[in-house]
Amino acid sequence: MFFIIIEQIANGLVVGTYYTLLALGLSLVFSLGGVVNLAHGAFYALGAYLAVTVSSLLGLGFFSAVGLAPVGVALVGMAIEVLFLRRLYGEDPILGLLFTFGLAITAEQAIRLIWGGTGLPFGIPPELAGVMTWRGFLFPYYRLTILAVCVGTIAATWLLLNKTSFGMVVRAGTSDPEMVRALGIRLRPVLTAVFGLGVGIAGLAGVMSAPLAGVQPAMGTEILTATFVIVVIGGLGSFWGVVLAGILVGIVKGLTVIFYPPAAEAAMYALMVLVLLVRPRGLLGEKMDRLES
Amino acid sequence: MRKLSHPVLVLAAALALLPFLMRSLGLTTALATELVLMAMAGLGFNLLLGYTGLVSFGHGAFFGLAAYGTALFQIHVMRGGVIVPVLFGTAFAAVLGLVVGFLILRRRGVYFSLLTLAFTAMVFYIVFRWTDFTGGESGLGGIKRAPLLGLDLDDQTLLYAVVCLIVLAVSLLMWRLVNSPFGRVLAAIRENQQRAEFVGFPVQRYKLVAFIVSATVVGLAGTLFALLKYFISADLVHVTFSGEILAMSVIGGQRSFLGPALGALFFILFRELLTAVTAGWQLWFGLLFMGFVLFSPGGLMGLGERILAPFRTDRREAAAMAKRVTPDPGADIPGFLRGQGDGSGQALAIEGISKRFGAFVAVDKVTIALAPRGIHALIGPNGAGKTTLFNVLSGMFPPDGGTIGLTGRSIAGLPAATLAGLGIARSFQITNIFKTLTVAENLRLAVQARDPRRFAFFRHSDTLAEVNAKTSGLISFLGLKGLEEVNADSLSYGGQRLLEIGLALAVQPRVLLLDEPLVGLAAGERERIVGLIQRLSEHMSVLVIEHDIDRVFAFAGIITVMHNGAVLATGTPAEVRAHAQVQAVYLGTGRRISASRKMAGITTKAEPLLSLEAVNSFYGASHILHDVSLELYPGEMVALLGRNGAGKSSTLKAITGLNPPRLGRVIYLGQDITGWSPEDVARAGIGLVPQGRRLFPTLTVAQNLEMGRLKRIGRDGVRWPEERVFQMFPRIRERLNAKADTLSGGEQQMVAIARALVGSTRLLLMDEPFEGLSPAMCEEVFNVIDELRREVPILMIEHDLDLALALADRVYVLDRGRISHEGPAEPLHTDLELRKATLWL
Repeated sequence: MFFIIIEQIANGLVVGTYYTLLALGLSLVFSLGGVVNLAHGAFYALGAYLAVTVSSLLGLGFFSAVGLAPVGVALVGMAIEVLFLRRLYGEDPILGLLFTFGLAITAEQAIRLIWGGTGLPFGIPPELAGVMTWRGFLFPYYRLTILAVCVGTIAATWLLLNKTSFGMVVRAGTSDPEMVRALGIRLRPVLTAVFGLGVGIAGLAGVMSAPLAGVQPAMGTEILTATFVIVVIGGLGSFWGVVLAGILVGIVKGLTVIFYPPAAEAAMYALMVLVLLVRPRGLLGEKMDRLES
Repeated sequence: MRKLSHPVLVLAAALALLPFLMRSLGLTTALATELVLMAMAGLGFNLLLGYTGLVSFGHGAFFGLAAYGTALFQIHVMRGGVIVPVLFGTAFAAVLGLVVGFLILRRRGVYFSLLTLAFTAMVFYIVFRWTDFTGGESGLGGIKRAPLLGLDLDDQTLLYAVVCLIVLAVSLLMWRLVNSPFGRVLAAIRENQQRAEFVGFPVQRYKLVAFIVSATVVGLAGTLFALLKYFISADLVHVTFSGEILAMSVIGGQRSFLGPALGALFFILFRELLTAVTAGWQLWFGLLFMGFVLFSPGGLMGLGERILAPFRTDRREAAAMAKRVTPDPGADIPGFLRGQGDGSGQALAIEGISKRFGAFVAVDKVTIALAPRGIHALIGPNGAGKTTLFNVLSGMFPPDGGTIGLTGRSIAGLPAATLAGLGIARSFQITNIFKTLTVAENLRLAVQARDPRRFAFFRHSDTLAEVNAKTSGLISFLGLKGLEEVNADSLSYGGQRLLEIGLALAVQPRVLLLDEPLVGLAAGERERIVGLIQRLSEHMSVLVIEHDIDRVFAFAGIITVMHNGAVLATGTPAEVRAHAQVQAVYLGTGRRISASRKMAGITTKAEPLLSLEAVNSFYGASHILHDVSLELYPGEMVALLGRNGAGKSSTLKAITGLNPPRLGRVIYLGQDITGWSPEDVARAGIGLVPQGRRLFPTLTVAQNLEMGRLKRIGRDGVRWPEERVFQMFPRIRERLNAKADTLSGGEQQMVAIARALVGSTRLLLMDEPFEGLSPAMCEEVFNVIDELRREVPILMIEHDLDLALALADRVYVLDRGRISHEGPAEPLHTDLELRKATLWL
């Protein structure tokens, strides 16, 4: 029993860091541009689909897919940002919601058209298959890989935000964009880059999840609610809040699955509703006037 | 909203013609019924979206849950029957609307929308998984259409007719609803929720009722849909379906009553006709939706209006008239505003009010006695706490200490809408009206807040006789006669300010709080409004914040001066004018501050480094700077003085590009930089030390400095290396890795100055560098600036005259947006009498 609990916690951690990755991308985009990107799940799905295409059609392996797909997603994202989202910065935030909502639904249909309505297979690469055993504790290597990649990406994002000039400008732009401009720094390219980064991370999460959760057109909208749950619980705009929330939700889900499986997902929604009502800024988020106007 | 001749008649005609249209396209009557039901769902949904301004991504859930309710009721409880299951399903939707609305309407804007998304996801999950009850994935079948009053509803045409009748009845009720007093308030909430509260409407109640009505109508559509299809599935509660209802309303036109119906027609036809051609019809529909959001948020109806606009002469005439007619001083005070100020004693007993924001004390034990009639003015320099006091008095937030008594009753901490009901009205410094409503609609709305029939659902709001009488009395008094049908945002600025006061008056105030009623107005308009206020003050207590001090001293009965959150002095205009401390606050004490006198070097024959030529700036419609011209020569320091509201910061914003001038030019180094972006201005060598420092709080001191040198890398100009920074500001070296928000005010000021100088600077702009500093820190900053001005030309805004005159070579004085004085600083620095003569009243 003990090992089952440990395994489920470990599973929960994997799921948790993986949600955190997605939520981080969403949170980044919001902090700087003020747009809540309801189409975030679509980029996640796109990542998975691009990976399938890259590996099967172009005959490249899993590892190339992991490298190339997120880049592809980032490029698509940046194009959308430049062409459309720019018009919405500074407008009524509802317009951003409506537009990205439409984008989410449209993207799912586009995926259906391009790649077909049924799921596509995407296997775990042979190098990462297999199960690790350790004194009776079993854990698949692939899940460990996901954990490693997620943690690594989260760490890399933290480094980018806190140890580079680019990250410095992003953080400054989050609190006072007008002053940043008054120092001669153009924010538009930074906004585009951050958007590309945010959705690229989502695409990476999509690629990693593909062998486990499958690749099908509705995967984007399915993951979206979970992402929002994390972001809302952790606090829109808070790095550590999102990380904390992701891990928390992942572990809670993992444990609930042992005791009462159907409650696992419902518990997540209930938690989100509770947080939104009682402490809408989340565990660690700032009070965001932008969201309430 | 465009008022069609009668939309329900148009709808009836459309419904009559629809079956023929369908048949001609080879589509079925059942599909027509489906279309009609979607139209009704859209209409219900739009009450929330288009009329109240709330975006719900989950309304499909009400549709689906009502359908499930009906189906399950029919199958398990009644085993047949039509009327009762439908009623049950609809009631179920209504109750759900009440519960969900009560929970999630506490949040607004984006949070509200996210909550609807979560709610839908949760509902879908439950419905999908609870297979035993709801059929889960396979859905729920076996729904029957029992005979209704002898009619066999299995006949599609009969069902269509019955559904049409129901929909028409519902539409009629909805139409009356949106034109009722209740409906008008919803529109006000959409436009400007804050003002609706301050005018006296309990906004939350209105939103909840709108939510419930919307959920019920959508639910009714869902129940009939179940009957239509004989079968329902979880698709109906999925977010995609909600998205379709949303898309329909947006594409059809959310600002128009029949817009969603048009959207439903468009959606169904689009779906049916394109499915034959391509499997990706949803893709094209989604793209269309996105296109409408970006380019025509008014939908198809909006497009139609734009196309027809050249043919609609009435609106254009009204707008043209708005420019021509000047508000005239107007008639007598309407009856309903009289008599509030009768009686003796205080109108409002304001005692010891305090308000803190974190560690900052904004209002410090303020006591003011307001007489029942007369004008009491509140003046004081920037940051004195005047507007915060108003916010406390009018219910925007509660005080941290002190009491406010209204005829013996304590009212501190009551919400704005309640206070409005008790007769405390307030106008805003930044015009806060209902922009898309006409002048008459604005005022009628506010007047309606006091009328006991304000919740009425089915009366036409235009038929409330008393409300109409009061409104027209108010319009005459304000001098806006003839402009009733003009849209508020087409009014001239002066007209808008009159309307702003009018909205406050409609509350029938005992105490009228006016926040800078004269700001941005020309002299003639100021006279008019002062006249208005004087006549009003015979009947009520008026408390005015104003920076036009000359006028204030002329028309106020009593003046209270505030400084740093506390009351400095209270008395008649003569007493205040002669009050030593008040003069000190505005003029300085004339204390001699030694500053090393500048080395000679200014030759006025040289080309100015910076010159402003007849610059005119606006904030929206408010004309802030009038033909402002000034020059700054290499090697000199110029101070820009003036009382607050005079336009000093606006001048800096005109130079830096943060609020570019509409007329006039800004010339820098011989180049016209008018309208340049702030980034380009900064890179050209204009450094800014802004008011309030504005360091980046989450960055360290070192990082703040790095932000300053990142992109300002020109070769000309002063550019301080790090050693120089440490030499000038030793404390910065110590605190280099501390987060900026942990520094004291003085330390932050040092960093802000350094941040400007580490980048290439040829001209330094400083906005109130001494604000909020302790005397010791003032001295340090003073010494820094004293040294600085030998290295780099400075243009400084400062309200402490002693400090500014000690440092500057020349000064310009701004008064109400115009340069009123220009000359050397030295004579004003040494001669206090001259200062009084030039700068005091």
